[in-house]
This record gives sequence, C-alpha cells and structure tokens, in this order.
Amino acid sequence: MNKNTAKRVVVTGLGIITAIGESTPTFQKALFNGECGIGPVSLFDTTGFPCEVAAQVKIKDLKTFFGATGIKRVSRCDLLGLIATHEALLDSDLESERCSQKDIGVVLGGGAGGMLSWEKFRRTSWLKKTKARPSPLLSIAQCTLTDLIASRYRLIGSRATISTACSSSATSIGYGFDLIRSGVHEIVITGGSESLSELTFAGFNALRLMDPEYCRPFDKSRRGLSLGEGAAILILESYESAEHRGATMYAEVLGYATNSDAFHMTSPDPEAMGMSRAMTKALGTANVSIDQVDYINAHGTATKINDQVETKAIKRVFGEKGARALAISSTKSMVGHCLGAAGAIEAVATVLALSKQVIPPTIHLENSDPDCDLDYVPNNSRTQEIHIALNNSFAFGGNNTSVVFGRGQAQKKKIKSWE
Amino acid sequence: MIDIAITGIGVMSPLGVGRKAFWENCRRAKTGIKKITSFDTSSLRSNIAGWVEDFDPRQFMSPGVYRRMSRISRMAVASSVEAMKDSGLILDSIDRERIAVIMGTSYGSSSHVEDFYISLLKDGPRGAQPFLFPETVPNAPASHIAMFHGITGPNTTFCQNEISAENAILYAQNLLLQNQVNIALVGGADELSAILYSCYNAVGALKKIKVENDELVNPKPGDGLILGEGAGVLVMERLDFALERNAKIYGILRSGVITGGITSVGHYEVEGEQMARAMSLAMKKANINPDEIDQINVSANFSGELDRMEYNQLKKIFRKPTKDLSVTPLKYLIGDFGGAGVIRAAAILLSLYHQLPLPTVSIEMLKAEPQCSLEWNLHSIDKTQVALMTTTTFGGGSTSFIFTKDGSSLKSVANS
Repeated sequence: MNKNTAKRVVVTGLGIITAIGESTPTFQKALFNGECGIGPVSLFDTTGFPCEVAAQVKIKDLKTFFGATGIKRVSRCDLLGLIATHEALLDSDLESERCSQKDIGVVLGGGAGGMLSWEKFRRTSWLKKTKARPSPLLSIAQCTLTDLIASRYRLIGSRATISTACSSSATSIGYGFDLIRSGVHEIVITGGSESLSELTFAGFNALRLMDPEYCRPFDKSRRGLSLGEGAAILILESYESAEHRGATMYAEVLGYATNSDAFHMTSPDPEAMGMSRAMTKALGTANVSIDQVDYINAHGTATKINDQVETKAIKRVFGEKGARALAISSTKSMVGHCLGAAGAIEAVATVLALSKQVIPPTIHLENSDPDCDLDYVPNNSRTQEIHIALNNSFAFGGNNTSVVFGRGQAQKKKIKSWE
Repeated sequence: MIDIAITGIGVMSPLGVGRKAFWENCRRAKTGIKKITSFDTSSLRSNIAGWVEDFDPRQFMSPGVYRRMSRISRMAVASSVEAMKDSGLILDSIDRERIAVIMGTSYGSSSHVEDFYISLLKDGPRGAQPFLFPETVPNAPASHIAMFHGITGPNTTFCQNEISAENAILYAQNLLLQNQVNIALVGGADELSAILYSCYNAVGALKKIKVENDELVNPKPGDGLILGEGAGVLVMERLDFALERNAKIYGILRSGVITGGITSVGHYEVEGEQMARAMSLAMKKANINPDEIDQINVSANFSGELDRMEYNQLKKIFRKPTKDLSVTPLKYLIGDFGGAGVIRAAAILLSLYHQLPLPTVSIEMLKAEPQCSLEWNLHSIDKTQVALMTTTTFGGGSTSFIFTKDGSSLKSVANS
C-alpha cells in the first residue's frame, strides 16, 4: 500500500475489566498506583496445584452489569468482553443507534473462550451422576464474543477472531489497523477477553511455568507467571472520522508486525531473533526510528526464559545504550497473564501511559538480575514525557506481535466513568 | 488491481489423501461421508461424518517430527508439505520472513483439550499431562507448519466457526496486497474427535442418521448438519512474483469480501441479506457480472437452515429459471468444518486449472424438501473461467470470493 494514501488510525474508545479495576478510570488508578490483583481463585478449586493463585476479576455477579435481568447464557469470558465493549463504545460515543448505521468491523483475539463453561459440562458428564445440560456448549467457540458483540450492536462489517494464544488480541489490533488504513472500514472494534479456566490453570501448572506466590517480572528470584483474566476493548477509527465527529483521540496506532520464531511450541528462541525482528519490523511499518521510542510495555511474563530473552531482544533492536535509555514495564505484574486478552489489556495500559504521560510500574521487582539489566520502572509509576511506545506480545508456538502507538493528537474530553 | 495467484495445493480430505485422489473423487462426486470407526458412537443419535481415511503422516514427515502433534497438526503439516512441493518454491532461495502462514480452524485440537482435561479429572492437579497442553492452542497447526519449513514471516490463526479458513484467505490477501509478504501458505484444518462430535450431538445440531455397515451414505439435505474434518493448504502469491519465477498457476483470487450477519449464537442469519451483500460486493470488486459466473460453490451443509437461505439468495442474484441454475455444495461430500473453505477453494482451483467442471446439483436440492433425494450431475468438457465461492456461518458472518482462470491484467495465464 502507498504510505501516502494510507489512512491514519487512532484510538477513540477504551473499555477494560481486570482484577485491579473494572472500568478504565479504576484500572488506570490501580495501574499507576502499582496495585496487585493476584490472589485466591474462587471460580474453581485450585487446591493441590503447585500454584493456587491467579488474578481473578473480583466482582461476584458479573451479570448485574447489564441490569437486574442481566444477560443470560453467556460464558464468563463473553460476559467480561461484553462489559468492556459496552464501556468502550460509550467512551467513544458510539453506543446504540448511531453505531448500527455504520459499517463497523469487529476483530477480536480469543484465548480459551468459553472453556470454563465447557469444563462444567464435561466434569458433570464425566462424573455420570447427573445429566449435563448442553446449553453451555453453544458458547465454546473462540469467536462467540465477536458474534455476540456484532449482534448486540447490529454490526455488519468485517468479522474475525484471531486465536494465536497469548498474542491474539495484540494481532487483532494490528488487523483492525490494517482494515482502517486500507479503507475497508472507518471503525473497528478490537481487543479480546479471557476468563480463568481449569484447562489453562492446569496447563501452565503442568508445564511448571507458574510462580506459587505472585509473578515478579525481571526479578532475579522470579519463578514463573501468574495467570489472570479480564477483557479490554479498543475502538480504532480513522483519523478523518474521529476528527469529523470530534472524538477523543487517546493515541494513534502507528504500525505493527507479527512473525514466527519457527523454533519451538513453548520456548522462545534463545537468540531472540523472532522477538527482535517483530519489534524492528513494527517500527519499520510505523516509520519510527529506534531513538524515537520512549516506552515498551513488555510481554514480561516472569518466566525465567521470557524475561531474559525479551531483554536480549530489546538490546538487539535498540543497542545496549539505546535499550538503557528506554522505560520498560510489565503490567502483568499487576493483572497477571491474561492470555488471549493480554495484548489488548497491555495495549490499553500503553495507551493510558501515552495519554496521561505516566509510565506504569513493574511491581514485585526487588532483586536485580544480571540478565535483565534495563530500566523496568520498578514498583512505582513515573511521570515522564513519552511520545512513542511499543507493546510486545509473544505466544505459544513462537508467535510474536509488536504494536507501535503514538501520542494522540487531541485531548478533547476526559475519560467518562462507566456510569 | 493486484491479482493473487494460487500456485500450490495440498489436501488431506474425506475425498482422499493428497491432491490427486481428492480431485479424482471430487470429479466423480464420490462421497467422503461414512460411518465413524475411530470412536464409539453407540450412545449418540448419529454415527456418520466426513472423515479422512488412510492418512499416514509418515508419507509427509518423519515420526520424530509428528510424535507430539495432534491429528489436526499432522494433517495441516502434511497439506503444507504437499502444497510447497507442488508450488516448486525453493525455500533456501527466498526470504523466509517474506512468507506468511495463515490458518483457519473452528476449534483446533479438540481431542487434545479433551485428553488433557480428562487427565486432570482422573489424576488430579499434579497428574495432568504437560505434553498434551501445548497442542490445545488453535494456533498449534500454524506453528508446526512454520517450524517444519522454517518460515519466520507472519503467522496467524483464525477461529470463526464455518468461515475460519475464509478469514485466513482474507487476511493473507491483505498481507499480499500490502506487500508485507511475497508468499502466503493459507490453510484450513479441523479434526473430528469424539468430544466434538458428542458436543454437536448434545446440542442437537447433527443430522440424525445411523448406518449399520460401511455402505455409502447419501443423506438428504435438511434436518441437521454432518460434521467433517480435513486440512488443506494453498500457496498464494502476488501474481507478479509468480510470473517472475514462471510458476504453475492454478487460478487467480480476484476478490474476497466478508460481511457480518446479525443472528443469535448457534444460528444462521435469518434472511441471508448479508450473504447476498457479500456476493454482490465480491462480484463488484472483481468487475464480474452474475452472467459471467460459470461455477457457484456454496456452503450448504445439510442443516436445511443454511441450505434454504443460499437457495433464496442465489435465486435473487442470478435471476435464472431454477432449472438452469446448478451449484456445487462440496460439504455434501466432505462434511462441515471450519477449515473446509480452503478445501472448497482447492476444488475450484483444480477445476479452473484442468478446465474441467466440478459436479453440481440442481439448486432446487438446497430447498431441502422431504421428498428430494440427492442427485449429483457429472460434467465432461466445459470451459470454466469464473467461479464464485460463498460461505455463511452460524453465529453470523458471510464471505464471498471470486476465482478466475486468468488475471485481470492478462489475457491468458500460461497453463503449464
């Protein structure tokens, strides 16, 4: 595509629900305060696992978000996603009728989807004591949330659900960016949702990738990740459309890249070639030079290997000196690793950093590791001028996605509260 | 407009393992739907599916490579091996970062999800089998393809029910048109598993048929879908790139469009307006009139709900007497699954390349009336230049593609 004719893409609405905040304002406050959402899990019994904790969304009855009657027959994952979508559309002034008339796309990233619902069905049928009700099975497909959003808001544009494990929702932002830049749509709803499930909880435990207490990204004593859940939605819009209707531009999406390590199903390439190439290519598509980047929202899972290799990749891209000048943080230290929603949650954190000019911290970072010797903004957020930020997401299967965000052009209104 | 050429095909399908067997059985309209033998169906209301028989991964890769792979990953990698070989591409001479692997699947490896979860239920928190877990992610097949060939370019997997593979084609088209890559391996794959089949059975989505022996199954359209499985990979490249390397060209992807239908979970869009809009937009984008279309490939899947909607919308668009309108519902031969779009596209492309038409049924068949019995028409010589492929999924969403023999900017593409 000709870069001169390509449309600019801005973020005009944010919606988020995580263990540390159930709306953008509450999430932002907790994010900048460095609050930890990791704790006991009540969704299923975690007794006996090497790690028994995770960052679970604290609200008891999520369904009450949609009034007394609530929303029936949706999985927890889809409910989290609908809550975040509702907020994001409200935030961007795209609610209800005005929404339906436009050709708006929905591109989301999925993780385990309605796995938690499937598990209930499967456990019941396996125990053979009572008959398992089949209705939860209708929402097991990863794309259910995408379909629910499109139906609820009567959207007839492009529809896609990307499922590349932990980079899914980061890539959804990339595809949304493509669809606007190339003129297919003016607006695309992007992001993703993930709920905790026994499958992923047992899976990461079985692989011995979880810290029994809480994750400590880039810390010398790190022992693995903490799982989390939540949803984040970003409304992407062409600059022209946003300007025309006077929408808030929180940030600009400047470019992205995805690639593959082609190395191993669960381990990153120790030479960090894939990760570094994803960052380099993303900066290339964004037409941004390495010295323009101020902040990286790292993948930073707190596994021994990820943090070491990601640090190596950052040095490979920015050079030893350039890497040291960057502010880097892992917001997973607060919200846990939200798998399919991680990329979008971290994108919202990145957009808020650019919008508020505050860099969120990496919490639980006490002991410096010689293999991780960059500035990870330990424990306290930092007010700093930032113009360009990079958001990294790396996944099972060696999938790497980097998204480049720039500071928004205009700040016309404050973030609306959920109510 | 930049055209995209398809230069390699690999297929593991209920109609045969490998491109050649697939094409031969396709031409004869030999059904791939048969009694399930790989798991126990005695407690279920159905026992047939389109499944891949005689698939031996050793024909495509060494046991050390496929040992930890699920069935879906094995079939996907095997398809990629066949497609790459067919394309004549020599990986060592091209930049592997300029090659994408884009896949579509409904559920990924449902068998590994089941096996892993059952290992947890049986053996408790410390007994769950770690080696089963990585294969539960739907992007495992795409990752295995990348690892097998050492392809380091964009790697993405789409899960969008019955338009999963179609979504993959659209994203690959987008990457090629933006010149992000020169080549894309685009695939669709799904595996038939006991758990998936029993879940479809539990929600009442399956056509209720039980057969006794290995007889050929020729069900009537309507009253529930028939599940299928299989994998297919297409090598797609920019036409200029393909011409430069003097590649064999099966056909050209001229346009692709997706629209969203409004419906409830588990159901199809009621009237099919968005399906019709996708078809109209795809024709408009390709600058093709309905009169110019020689072949209509539909996504009818025995459900009745979808079949009838396609009947109604196609009649409106093509404005011909129904006796003159015939369609190819390939899912009547291979069953229904999210990766089927690439296999259907493979059939279209083989037909364009060999200049031999696909078998058809009268469009009346899609009305799924109780008295109808499925009759296929086989055709001998016919020139096929333009094909339309339409797909609609439950949950909402329709895609439409136009494939042609020749590119828009060329009079004729060499049929080497």
